[in-house]
Amino acid sequence: MTLAPKRALGRRFPAYEPMIELVNLRKEYDTVLAVDDLSLTIPQGEIFGLIGPNGAGKTTTIRMACGLLAPTLGRALIAGVDVAQEPERAQQYIGYLSDFFAVYEDLKVWEYLDYFAHAYKMPEGEIAGRITEVIAQVNLEVKRDAMIGGLSRGMKQRLGIARAIIHRPTVMLLDEPASGLDPKARLELRNLLRSLRDQGATILISSHILTELEGFCTSIGIMEKGRMVRSGSIEEVTAAATSTRLVRLSWAGDALAAIQEKLQGDPRVSDVNLTAGAGTFRFSGAEEDLAPVLAALVAANIPVTSFGEVKQTVEELYMKLSTHEVM
Amino acid sequence: MPRFWANLFWNNPEFVRHRRAELRPVRAITVAVVVAVMCVLLGMACWSYQQNLLENAQRGMETFATEAWKRRAESIQAEFAQRTWLLFYRWLVGLQGVALTFWTLFSCAQSVSGERDRKTWDFQRTTRLTPAEILIGKLLGEPILVYFAVLCAAPITLIAGLAGGISFGAVISVFVFLAMTSVFLGLGGMWLSTLLESRTRGVGLIGALALYGFTLGSFGMHETGLPGLAAMSPLAGFVDLLGHSPDSALRRFPAVLFGHEIPWLLMNVLLCGSFSAWLAVMLVRNLKRDYPEIRPLSRWQAVGCAAFLNFLIYALLKPGWGTSEAHGWFPDAKSVALFAVAMNGLILFLMGLATLTPQERLKVWQRKRAAGESALFADDGLPWPWLGISALVAYGLVIWGLLAWDHILPLEMSTLQAAAIQLLLVLVFVTRDVLFLQWCVLTRLRQPVVKGFLFLCLYYAAATVLTTIAAVSSQEAGRWMLALLTPVQVFDSNVRGAIFPAETYAGLALQTGVIGVMLTAISSRLQRPMQAGAAA
Repeated sequence: MTLAPKRALGRRFPAYEPMIELVNLRKEYDTVLAVDDLSLTIPQGEIFGLIGPNGAGKTTTIRMACGLLAPTLGRALIAGVDVAQEPERAQQYIGYLSDFFAVYEDLKVWEYLDYFAHAYKMPEGEIAGRITEVIAQVNLEVKRDAMIGGLSRGMKQRLGIARAIIHRPTVMLLDEPASGLDPKARLELRNLLRSLRDQGATILISSHILTELEGFCTSIGIMEKGRMVRSGSIEEVTAAATSTRLVRLSWAGDALAAIQEKLQGDPRVSDVNLTAGAGTFRFSGAEEDLAPVLAALVAANIPVTSFGEVKQTVEELYMKLSTHEVM
Repeated sequence: MPRFWANLFWNNPEFVRHRRAELRPVRAITVAVVVAVMCVLLGMACWSYQQNLLENAQRGMETFATEAWKRRAESIQAEFAQRTWLLFYRWLVGLQGVALTFWTLFSCAQSVSGERDRKTWDFQRTTRLTPAEILIGKLLGEPILVYFAVLCAAPITLIAGLAGGISFGAVISVFVFLAMTSVFLGLGGMWLSTLLESRTRGVGLIGALALYGFTLGSFGMHETGLPGLAAMSPLAGFVDLLGHSPDSALRRFPAVLFGHEIPWLLMNVLLCGSFSAWLAVMLVRNLKRDYPEIRPLSRWQAVGCAAFLNFLIYALLKPGWGTSEAHGWFPDAKSVALFAVAMNGLILFLMGLATLTPQERLKVWQRKRAAGESALFADDGLPWPWLGISALVAYGLVIWGLLAWDHILPLEMSTLQAAAIQLLLVLVFVTRDVLFLQWCVLTRLRQPVVKGFLFLCLYYAAATVLTTIAAVSSQEAGRWMLALLTPVQVFDSNVRGAIFPAETYAGLALQTGVIGVMLTAISSRLQRPMQAGAAA
């Protein structure tokens, strides 16, 4: 499938569909199967959250995807380039960030970024400007000429993030990037990733801190024991995980009996749990089928003040889908 | 094209990083000042030494009033300046040689392991730098401080050399030679560093010291039947470049290549160059690999390396040298064949070590093999078929080598037949040992190769004890024990022609059986069921 080039991260690059493709990836250590025939396709612009307990195979998957680890079997393709076959070509698309932010302490901030800009073989003319740009992005302007050894831990972490994006990668592979970050840095990282997403980057992010991924990922995959238990958009995974929707409503005045009567008359409604002024029930129909239910309540002169589906958090979803065999 | 070379060397990001980090103005000025002060002190010491010599000669002339003392004093007086400069030059070059080789080796020996230790290695591996670029960057960058020190001392060295009567070309040759030697040692250090999972300073330091000691110590080889091997030491080239007296050891025992005398410097260039090339191949192949995936050479490269080492034996051989009893190196073709067989024991074992397959790859190979998709001679398969190929190549080279030297060492057919059986014997024992190490790799031992090697040492120690005990009852029993458990009977001086005693064949049969057992053990290890998860 040929797509028109898309402008992403200020650089023209051939658009591939998908940007990240893992085909039957498998990794064995001794007698342990760390990743078991994992296949995953992430289209451009997607932010895919890889969630799972420690030891589920998330780090191994990301390390194989960025070419740090050779898979036992299978292939990892980034922007259509096989990472094992053409590693140097594939690396131009990849920005890799892990849970540790090791830096060269004997360099200055700008020298560190200059090193990686050259190591990623960016055009010579673009490097100076790009260094200034990323230093501003991670709020290290005042430390531009400072020795890295003298920076605080948080600043080093921000510098690590700047390193990962210096070459304008179109695919970001992030392995527990927020672990060890303070709340402010975590927020900054989140904002930075959002801006990268807005610029067209494809992001694969692993985390076991599920709230980290909430409201940020467009799709998720749940890994356990090296296998992908479930993957897809959050809506798809939610729909697959639950057969019914939890609906919360509230009303003014004394309408409890009338509401109970109306709801129990609908065969799609179950688990009605109402108290004075508010309550919940389960609904087995589609999202759009909720509108007639609300209309019926309003038509019966019930003063409904709020009515809506209770969306499940990623954490709830994960707890529901996970079998916790590894945890 | 010049841009390509500039990017590869001067603008190499890894080199630039080291240049920036280690040559900050204050440090660079300090180094330059220290070098200048040392040069001045050294110069003064040389002048003082010459002055002392002159005063002694003049005192001798006054005391003894002989013609000899007079001539000596006049000679020193007349050549005072030149002699002082020459001495100064030699000391400068010698000190630079020591500093450069030592520093290069030790800094490169911590290059990769240091990055692993700081956890910056993964980030470097995920850049677009090729292994060759990383290699060049580290080789030039890690010892940058000592390169700078040598650069600071270079003008003074050049002036001292010219004033001391050394030609400009010879001084430049010294610098080229120094650079070549430091590249060779730097590559050796970097390979050592690649093999260390983290900067375990003790192991790295011991390894680097051993390498340095081996390189310098190989100078003693000039009095053996393979005198050219002395050129593994930079000392050989150094002595050649700095000039040596007519009765020096190197002049009495010249380097020979295919029986022709060549300068030690050339021999040094040939050996350091070829071994540097092998080290570079190994590094480029492995630098960007994950630690457990490191394998020095591909199978065919390993066969090529074994052939190269065999070729060296015949190229550097000095047959019939010193035919007196005291220096009886290689008096006949049989001794050459025996030496080649013994060396092949070592070469095949090293080759086996270099081609041990990681468990993960071996499992995949076995599955594919069971499905008929993979061959016995595969890069991820067991090493033993490749040992067989190497032994065949080695035997071919034994025939070629002995025929090549036939004009000096007459060759008998029985020598070739005996060499075939001896090589087979060595091959079987080495195969058994290598398969044992391969089995160790499949176990959960930490550092399986090191531990496996220690187990092998223990086995041979036990075999020696058993042989000694058996020999107490009868010499025959001792011989049988030795033949069954070790390949030592290869060197049995009682063997005439190609007729070996029965215990040799019994030992062959027993060890072939052991190889069968090892293969079964490896196969059963590979078939253990997998457990899912919890790998990280």
